[in-house]
Amino acid sequence: MKKVTISLIVMLLLTVVLAACGGAAAPSAATNTIKIGVNAPMTGDIPKVGEGTKYSAEMWLEDVKAAGGLDVGGTKYDVELVIEDNEAKAESATAVTTKLISQDEVLAMVGPQSSKQAVPAGEVANNLKTLMVSPWSTNPNTTLDRPFVFRTPFLDPFQGPVLVNFATEEFGATKAAVLYDVASDYPKGLAEFFKSAWEELHGEGSVVAFESFTTNDTDFSAQLTTIKDSGAEVLFAPQYYNEVALIVQQARELGYDGPILGSDSWGSAELMNLCGDACKGLFFSTHYAAAGATGATKEFIDRYNEKYGYVPDDVGALTWDTMLLIQKAIQDCGTITGDIAVDRQCVRDAMAEIKDFEGITGSMTFTEEGDPVKCAVIVKISDAGEFEFYKQVCPE
Amino acid sequence: MTAITSKLSTGKNDLGLLFKKLWAPFSMAPMLGWLVGALVAVLLEYTIGPYVAWTLGLAKIPVLFGVLIMLETPILFPSAVLYVLIIYIVPIAFVAWITTPLANNLAGRLLDLRPWLAVLVHLGLFYAILQLWAEINDYRLLIVRLTLISIMLTLSLNVVNGYMGEFSCSHPGFMALGAYAASVFTLTLFVDDRTFGPPLLPPQLGPLLFPLGLILGGGVAALGAVIIAVPSFRTRGDYLAIISLAFMFIVKSLIENLEFVGGPRGLGSQPDWANLPTVFAWTAICIWITNNFVRSTLGKALNAVRDDEIAADAMTVNTRQTKMVAFLFAAFWAGVAGGLFAHVLRYVNPGSFGLQKLAEILAMLYFGGLNSVVGSIVGAVSFNLVSEALRPLEIMKWIIIPVIFILVMIFRPSGLIAFTEFKVLDWIRPKNRITE
Repeated sequence: MKKVTISLIVMLLLTVVLAACGGAAAPSAATNTIKIGVNAPMTGDIPKVGEGTKYSAEMWLEDVKAAGGLDVGGTKYDVELVIEDNEAKAESATAVTTKLISQDEVLAMVGPQSSKQAVPAGEVANNLKTLMVSPWSTNPNTTLDRPFVFRTPFLDPFQGPVLVNFATEEFGATKAAVLYDVASDYPKGLAEFFKSAWEELHGEGSVVAFESFTTNDTDFSAQLTTIKDSGAEVLFAPQYYNEVALIVQQARELGYDGPILGSDSWGSAELMNLCGDACKGLFFSTHYAAAGATGATKEFIDRYNEKYGYVPDDVGALTWDTMLLIQKAIQDCGTITGDIAVDRQCVRDAMAEIKDFEGITGSMTFTEEGDPVKCAVIVKISDAGEFEFYKQVCPE
Repeated sequence: MTAITSKLSTGKNDLGLLFKKLWAPFSMAPMLGWLVGALVAVLLEYTIGPYVAWTLGLAKIPVLFGVLIMLETPILFPSAVLYVLIIYIVPIAFVAWITTPLANNLAGRLLDLRPWLAVLVHLGLFYAILQLWAEINDYRLLIVRLTLISIMLTLSLNVVNGYMGEFSCSHPGFMALGAYAASVFTLTLFVDDRTFGPPLLPPQLGPLLFPLGLILGGGVAALGAVIIAVPSFRTRGDYLAIISLAFMFIVKSLIENLEFVGGPRGLGSQPDWANLPTVFAWTAICIWITNNFVRSTLGKALNAVRDDEIAADAMTVNTRQTKMVAFLFAAFWAGVAGGLFAHVLRYVNPGSFGLQKLAEILAMLYFGGLNSVVGSIVGAVSFNLVSEALRPLEIMKWIIIPVIFILVMIFRPSGLIAFTEFKVLDWIRPKNRITE
């Protein structure tokens, strides 16, 4: 028994001594490092979205590194990105947010992307008083009553009327049909805003068909036949690119010849691979037009394309703007005290103050809720299959 | 060849011998001793943890026993191991060893006095450890709560899939029903929110009546179970699996189309009442009741139904009633777990209760072991911890976890700890006594 005691005590002493040595050898925690969290769906349902965010964020980090660090009030700070996978699940997004804020002590967080994750994550970020900027979520609840939560995409109550006005002017249409996924947050919300805006303009009953389906459906012939027979002059399909390809192709096969209108969810490089010729000549509203872009937007697209081999989706461009916004907020804050709670508050306040920020997805000013006031772009899919700038619509 | 095998086998024996030798001083330590040891460890962490971490060159206390550090910054891994050794392993082992006679004596007296008191003391100690451990960091707090909820889900599914031997897939559906029912209850009665307007009752009453909301959630889930049980219990095996899977999708679609609970946009701003004590208490109650349930006559009848329904019927087991009760029981606890889940995340969305959730619950269940309360606990805890620990690996995580599962299924086809009874009094008995 005695032997065991002695050996235990020796072991304990040894560990303490070793610990002291280890402490000396191991790199000490750097004080002049700014950490920014990225909460993205690297696995799960929408890995492409997570990838777009990650790539843009890493490109931004490259720029900062090339400049020798982030200049805040005359001092250069090292920047570290903490990228965590939220598996496109609500509970994981919450866990990741908590981890980034309380364990990694990030100054601000980018993401999560889809509203399913962004709404509960926003709750956590707001409670723990850390700036969170979602580059993709359009659900009003994400930022509502949460002073620490911001977003960079425009909201559906704005996008709906933009499309209604465009369809009315461009096609002279008075009767519209809508086909949307009832089980998915984003398409459903946008479909409803489109409907109410359309009926306000053209009167009750002018949306002649309001047809729905459920996520993962692949056959839309029943709904499309109804739409065709309803005499609609324009079809609005606020769907994701994989469904858009199916909807457009099936609509044409069933003999619907009218224009099909889309929303920002169409803006993926994958769309043209799946849809082919059927999608050429169609219009959709989005955050930026890749083809024919100029200035900083073009520079970003070319760089991204060269580095990763494809034209960035809207989430990539919005993440880029988000990173620059956070950078500006940190720089506007002026000083990093080292007291993380003070710095977070300071960065959040600076973020709310930002006016007329020139991003690659347009100029942004934030409302009190943390939502941007910005212009939408109407894009035409050219015969070469590129997303060409057609028109810009700004909020009055 | 023989030389190699003999060498290998002696090597294995040596290792076994070493392990036995190391274990020898602790073999007499009762659960009470270990718990006191763990309490000392978390108290150590609470008081000197940050300094120890700092001395070892770690910026913060390693949050999950250093596993995250291993993957994120491997250079610091030795420091993390040292930290775990200094803060957890050495103190726990030391205290458990030094208090062995005392703890045995005390545990024996407690057990002689009142068995339920002994259980409560152990439970209280365990809760104190958990609370202190989790309080270090919000992240730990969230993980612990989600893990406890997973335990409830796994355990309740074990009643149907393990003890009753059917394959039910409707658990996410029951969970969704419970989550929405409990959320609607708290939101209408106690919260001033956009969906349901001003509160009907004073919000101060809320935390007191919150258990009622959870029970309501469980009740609604059980009601859902009646709807599925009536038609589907005429069938067995694959058919029940298909019907229950359909039920899960029906619930999901139903909520997506119910505008007053937010449809696909989800339902948010639940009050923050599912704190650690609440979740812990409900989990403890769930384990206690389930354990008694499966060890009761009804539980034995369930096993009889699983092994041979016709034979059970011949032996006067009312098979239909037995299956019904077990199914409703499982659904009830899934509903309660759902209610807690909604109040931990403070947001629910029908998309959270789909196939992915089902796969998770089934994975925890079959990993831990069928027909075993301990197995469910082990399965839920290990799945949650492993999945949290491997998060930095991103896509590789979904290669490693399935590989682990395949290995478990090859070497232990019914799970890690299957077909065992959870005898609480046996766990906490003093080691200097012989069991009955």
